[in-house]
Parts: sequence; C-alpha cells; structure tokens
Amino acid sequence: MRIFVELVLSGIMVGSIYALVALGWTLIYKCSGVLNLAMGELTLIGAYVCLTYYQWGFPFPVAVLAMLITGFILGLVTERLFLRRMIGEPILSVIMITAGLSFFFRAVVGFVWGTDTVVFTPPVFPQEPLRFFSMVFGQIYIWSFVAAILLLLVFVWFFARSRWGLSMQATADDEMAALSLGVSAKRVYALAWAIAFMAAGVGGTLLGNINGLNISVGYLGLLVLPAVVLGGLNSVPGAIVGGLAIGVLQNLSDVYIGPLTQGGVKEIAPFVFMIAVLLIRPYGLWGWVRIERV
Amino acid sequence: MTFRPSGVYHQTYAASHAWWQSNFVRAKMALLVVFVATLPLYASLYVVSVANIVLYTMLSALGVQLLTGYCGQITLGHAAFIAVGAYVTAMGVLFWGLPYLVAAILGCLVAGLWSVVFGLPSARIKGFYQIMTTMAAQFITVDFIITHYVSRVGGREHYFSLPPGTITIGGWPVDSEIKVYYLAAALTFLCFVALANLLRTKVGRAWIAIRDNDIAAEAMGVNVVAYKLLAFFAAGVLAGVAGAVWIPSLLFVSPEHFQLSWSLWIVGVILIGGVGSLHGVAFGAIFVTVILELLKLAVIPLAEFYPALTERFLYVKEAAFGLAIVLFLLYEPKGLAYRWQQLKNYFNLWPFAY
Repeated sequence: MRIFVELVLSGIMVGSIYALVALGWTLIYKCSGVLNLAMGELTLIGAYVCLTYYQWGFPFPVAVLAMLITGFILGLVTERLFLRRMIGEPILSVIMITAGLSFFFRAVVGFVWGTDTVVFTPPVFPQEPLRFFSMVFGQIYIWSFVAAILLLLVFVWFFARSRWGLSMQATADDEMAALSLGVSAKRVYALAWAIAFMAAGVGGTLLGNINGLNISVGYLGLLVLPAVVLGGLNSVPGAIVGGLAIGVLQNLSDVYIGPLTQGGVKEIAPFVFMIAVLLIRPYGLWGWVRIERV
Repeated sequence: MTFRPSGVYHQTYAASHAWWQSNFVRAKMALLVVFVATLPLYASLYVVSVANIVLYTMLSALGVQLLTGYCGQITLGHAAFIAVGAYVTAMGVLFWGLPYLVAAILGCLVAGLWSVVFGLPSARIKGFYQIMTTMAAQFITVDFIITHYVSRVGGREHYFSLPPGTITIGGWPVDSEIKVYYLAAALTFLCFVALANLLRTKVGRAWIAIRDNDIAAEAMGVNVVAYKLLAFFAAGVLAGVAGAVWIPSLLFVSPEHFQLSWSLWIVGVILIGGVGSLHGVAFGAIFVTVILELLKLAVIPLAEFYPALTERFLYVKEAAFGLAIVLFLLYEPKGLAYRWQQLKNYFNLWPFAY
C-alpha cells in the first residue's frame, strides 16, 4: 500500500510537468487548430537555452526568466515564419509542417549542443531526499511539482482574467465573432505559440534537472499526445488532468505490469491507454463532440 | 506530347483507356526501362548504392501514398509495417529455413494483416485521432514487440545478423549492391504497375471516394469500413515488400532501422513529391535522396573550415529534410508532380501560351 501511494504521488509530480507541456499543446490547438508534433522539440530548445544561460553563470531564477523571454521571442518568430500561412489548410499539411519543424529543431539542437547527456552543474536543487510518513521523495520532484502547479495557476489566471487571455478564449470559441469584436486573431495565434514555447521550456528545464538533459527529453513531446487525447483536445483542464494521469499511469504500469514483460512497458503504456481511450471515448474527458454533416 | 495535335479521336474503349496513348510516350517509357536496366553497366558502385536507397524509399512511400494520398487515411506509423515485413522475412530465412521468396511473401502477408489490426480503429475514428493510432502502432510494434520480444528470438541480442550470401533466390546468392539493385528495381516496377492498375478498378475508385468525402461515399453505397481495411491491407503488403527488399542490402536487421523518424520521413517524401500521385512517389524519393547526397558532397569541402559539419552530418541531413518539407508545404503545396504536369503542359502547347 505504501508503495502504491508513493508511486501515485511521484507520478503526479512528474505528471505535473507533462501537464504543463500538454497545456501549451492544447493552447495552440484551441486557438489556431494546429496539431503540433514539434512540442518535444520546443521543450528541448527551452531546456538547452536555460542550461546555457545557467552555465554562463546566471543564477537559476534569472536563467529561467531569460529562457522565458527567449522562448517568447522564438514562439513569435516560429508562428510568423511558418505557421501563419497554414491556418485552415488540410490536416495533413498542418501536421506535417510541424513534423518538418520538429526534424529541423531537433537537428539544430543536436548540431549545436551535441548528443551527450549534460546536467545542471552545480545542481540547482538540494540532493538529499525528503521524508513524509516514511515515504521518500527527491527534493527535485517536490520543487518541480511546486513550480509546475504555480505556473499552471498563473496560466489559469491569465486565461480567466487578463485581457489577452480572454481574447484568446474568444478566438478559440468563435473566430468570426471574435474578429468582428475587434480581437486580432493574428496576435492570438502568435501569443499561443509564444506561451506554448515558454511552457514547454519550463517543462523541459524541470525534466532536465531530474534526469539530466539529452536529446531524448524530446520524447516528452510524444507523451503529451496521450495526455491531450485523454483530456479532450481543446480542454485546458483536460490537458492538466490528462498530464497527471499519464504520469501516474507510467509509474504504476512500470512497477505492476513491468515485471511480467521483458521491459519497455513504461514507454508504451501511455500509447496503449490512448488507443483504448480513442476506441471508447474519442473526444476525451471534456473535448467537444463533433457532429458531421455532408 | 501526351495529347494529339488535333484533338482526341479514339475508336475503341480500350484505346481511350490505354496507359500510353502515343508513340512518343511509349518510346519514353521504353527509354526509362532501358535506362533502369543498364544503369549498373556504366554507373559506379556509389551511384548504384544511391539508386538502391531511392528504390527502397519509393517502395516504402508507395504504401503511404496509397493510404494517405488515395484513401485519405493519414499514417505516421508505416515504418512499423516495413519492420514487420523485414523481420518476418529475416526470421523465415534464418530460423525456419524457408527460401527467400517464400519468406518474403509470408512477410508481406503478415505485414498486411498487422496493418489491418491497427486499421480497425478507423471504423470509429478519423482525422487526428486516426493519426494517433497509427503513431501508437509504431511504438507498440517497433519499440515494444520487436525490441523486447522478437529481437530475442534465437538468443541474439538486439539484432539478427545477415551475413552476405544468406539471402538466395533459387540458389543465386543476392550478395552485392548490383544484384540487390536488380531485385529492388524489378519489385518496384511490379508494385508501381500493380498499384496503378488497382487504382483504376472499382476498389481504387472506392478509395478515392472515401478520401474525397467519406460520408458521401457511404451514402453512395461504398462499404467504407471494408474498403478502409482493404486499403490498410494493401498498404501493409507494400510495406512488407519494402522490408523484404531492404534486408539483402543490410548486414543485420535491427529496430534502429524502423524508427518513428523513418515513418515521418516517408510521409515527407510523398508531400515533397505530391500527395495523390504515383509520379509523386518517384519524384519525392529521387529528390530527397539525391539532394541529401549532393548535400554530403557539398559538406566535404566546407568541413575543412568547420569540422563539426562532418561529425554531425546526420543532423545537417535531418535539418535539411525538415526545412525541405516546410518550404515545400509553404511554397509548393502540390509537390513536384504538379510542377512536372505544368512543365509537360507548357511543352505540349509550346510555343503558344494557351
């Protein structure tokens, strides 16, 4: 029982990072209808940029802040150069342009920063584990959890209260109505990419602190897909719940189903789960149910 | 010269449906066959090996073109079915003692059936959700079943080694690039002809109807689910052919050859070539492979000034490919096949503009 609780809790902690990245994905989809396969590469870029600033000697919070600014600018540039013309194009074109971007970004990261695993030195978070009720957690997980939850709250506030957030919601809800009320759709799309870049960067930085940073951190971008499918593609709370659920699912399947197989369950369980969700409830927990007519 | 100078006057249905309608086209195709057949006689071994990659890419992309370009079912997991074809063929030859051709046919059938398994969800879902299931097929097949189970058959870790001479056709070992080239060229030709003809039948028209509007197709009496599954089967068989053809040129088969990036790569190839066109498969495969080889040649002199270019050439290649997809989608969304058509039309009417 103790192991179970521990697994669930640490799953939620890692899952909160997934939730952060999934939120960025949902945001892009909600606002502009672009299905983004390059999310993992956005996390990679953010993480490496932050690491570079940190190695230049900036304190960690300053490095994160600088990374956020860089991510914001990169997001605006990416949207302007590549995505703006693709609004309303067929799904294959849109998804493949993000696939093309993911090839390009990953190659750039690999070319600039190499393939070896690098760690944040000196370590950002204290190494010794914390104990709660005889359960042991690395401090880094706690801090990641706190940071992710804090950011999620900021995002939720941003959408519910701020002017820009409201204009994003309006565009997602009904683009024509929003346009006629004076919302600039172009600005909304650009902002969605900028925020997604920032969220992914924070997620990547936190994961890089846990396991060290190499090109396989980009795998996170694929894990986001089961999370958003579970939550419903265009639901912000769905993305958060989906991310947490995928984190828990990975931990549980690794420990309980893993020994029955020859390995690799942890990587595969989210996708098997995703197929099950797709067959039973394709629109996820809170996604929109589309009714199609000819 | 596709059109006759003064209009089209066919006297029989057979003549109006003929593939090659004028002597000019017939001569052109004959020239192509002669060129392909004699290429190894005067080209260097390097050119032949590049041609092998082109042929493998074409065969891989053919199934994707069928599914995505003609039936509208986007697939991002096609490498999984190529892997099934390659692995079943390799296991047939290595462990079950089957002749290569029998093992290859078995591999194609198994790949087709495996593809149908992952096509089943298409009865209920489409669009993005369909894409996600094909992607899951990739991970479940290659990263789980093949990496952790199939690769351990026979007590070897991670890969099956295939020393040259293992693969024989009727006592003839397929052990050099040139022999692989002839095998691949023959099978590619066969697959292109088979698919081109299949697309002109009832089945092909049903697929195209599903691609254009599945609900309307259903209303017209097309059994959408059955034809979608048939498309998955046919695409799986084509992937199996690609896998079976690829293994004679490999020294070992390993899951590394069939990663997600290869699935995305072959979708990129049909996008560059042109979606919904068989010419597109050929043009895309040739363009991508040749451009990347030229890039390699261009990098060699530059490496003197910047050695990282050769050490990390893999990344240069991937960046170029990613950029090529993006630029084609932005500036030439119909692909090279469309440009080819435009070029032909221009010369058909030359010297008049219209």
